Amino acid sequence: MSETMKNFSITINVWRQNSPSDTGRMISYPVTNVSPAMSFLEMLDVLNEELIKKGESPIVVESDCREGICGCCGLVIDGNTHGPDKNSTVCQLHMRRFKNGDIITVEPWRVKSFPIIKDLAVDRSAMEKIMQAGGYISVNTGACPDANAILVNRDDAEESMDAAACIGCGACVTACPNGAAMLFTAAKISQLALLPQGHTERWERAVNMVEAMDKEGFGNCTNEYECEAVCPKEINVSNIARMNREFLIANFLSKK
Amino acid sequence: MNLVFLRRIITTSIGRKLIMAVTGLLLVGFVSFHLMSNLVLLNGQEAYNTYVEHLTGVPFLLFIEIGLLSLFLIHIIMGAYVRWEDFRNSPKNYEKRNWQGGRTIGSATMLYTAATILIFAAYHVFTFRFSDHSVGFYEMVTTAFRDPVYVTIYVMGALAMILHLSHGVQSIFQTLGINHLKYTPFIKLGGWIIALAMAAFAMLPLIFLFEFECCFMGMFH
Repeated sequence: MSETMKNFSITINVWRQNSPSDTGRMISYPVTNVSPAMSFLEMLDVLNEELIKKGESPIVVESDCREGICGCCGLVIDGNTHGPDKNSTVCQLHMRRFKNGDIITVEPWRVKSFPIIKDLAVDRSAMEKIMQAGGYISVNTGACPDANAILVNRDDAEESMDAAACIGCGACVTACPNGAAMLFTAAKISQLALLPQGHTERWERAVNMVEAMDKEGFGNCTNEYECEAVCPKEINVSNIARMNREFLIANFLSKK
Repeated sequence: MNLVFLRRIITTSIGRKLIMAVTGLLLVGFVSFHLMSNLVLLNGQEAYNTYVEHLTGVPFLLFIEIGLLSLFLIHIIMGAYVRWEDFRNSPKNYEKRNWQGGRTIGSATMLYTAATILIFAAYHVFTFRFSDHSVGFYEMVTTAFRDPVYVTIYVMGALAMILHLSHGVQSIFQTLGINHLKYTPFIKLGGWIIALAMAAFAMLPLIFLFEFECCFMGMFH
């Protein structure tokens, strides 16, 4: 076995908070026998097993698919949203990225609109409220239509799919200096605005989703593009420009 | 009359940003015109005084000035409000936080450069607009430009302008919804060119302070 594959020990400095009203604090835990092949979440699982054995409460951390497509996990590791790797979620971060003796800071998303439930788990229902305001199409789709009955330009389909890659993890909000949810909302508006099926309700959608976003207390956009830099799905800020455009047209040119 | 579109512009985040962008764009236009006017100084006393007399002889000048002041006030008040709102919403209390390369020096210092420009502009307006013009415009300006204190303030104002516009110009286009694979690189480059052109605001007083103006006299006739 090569030197790099040996198991090692680290210390993690993790945010513990018992309840939404608790003030919370950073607590240090040593983790021994860390395998480089472990994912970051598996390392936390190992630590939690030990904590449970000792009769302590385990660290609450949200995760689901563990293959980078569900948007459940989300941690700030050493000050980096979703960890030090670009275009990746926390579950795709592996312990081989760290070395023996490292002290790793682990924090939850700290955004006003995402209140902490416990430890590292936050309540992201503010993003659901934005979706409920218009992130869907409500036309009656009926039976399965003929193929090519609705023509879609391939480039538009690709761009829509790129926007639809958003997993709603909230990294953009956390990375934003202003705590804005613009990239998320923009992706959700764009994926429908680019396709003919989304055009029927596009103006109401743009206005309603933007108003819902503001109502949830997200910040304003200062076009600094930190969101794009941390997005695990590489959602482009040109989607924000599209949202601005949709809103502008909806507000001034549509009849409503 | 359905005024909901006006309410939305004032009450939504994107609406407020649009106000910032539109007023910002008009102010960039004004500043560019101002810069061009300053360059007339290099054509000498007679040319400058004639130019300023033409400019101040424009009908309804007071209304134009009030319009310009309103642009500044809207941009400042809306900017201050948005920043205050952002300050309340921004993620805080991180033990550690690393920026990932989106932010620039210009974008991170918008508030501070804005404050510097405001202080400079207030000083500049009081010393030039509301002062004794009887000595002649060229004399008034060149006297100020030979005062090291005034020139220092001018240079600081110009530096703040460079930083402010280095982020601001491209930001205007993004907010107005103009972001395109083909054109955005040119918009960003153009933003930097406009920003760097603001250095000319500092160059002119420096030329007069170090008495290099004779090198330019007659060059541009």
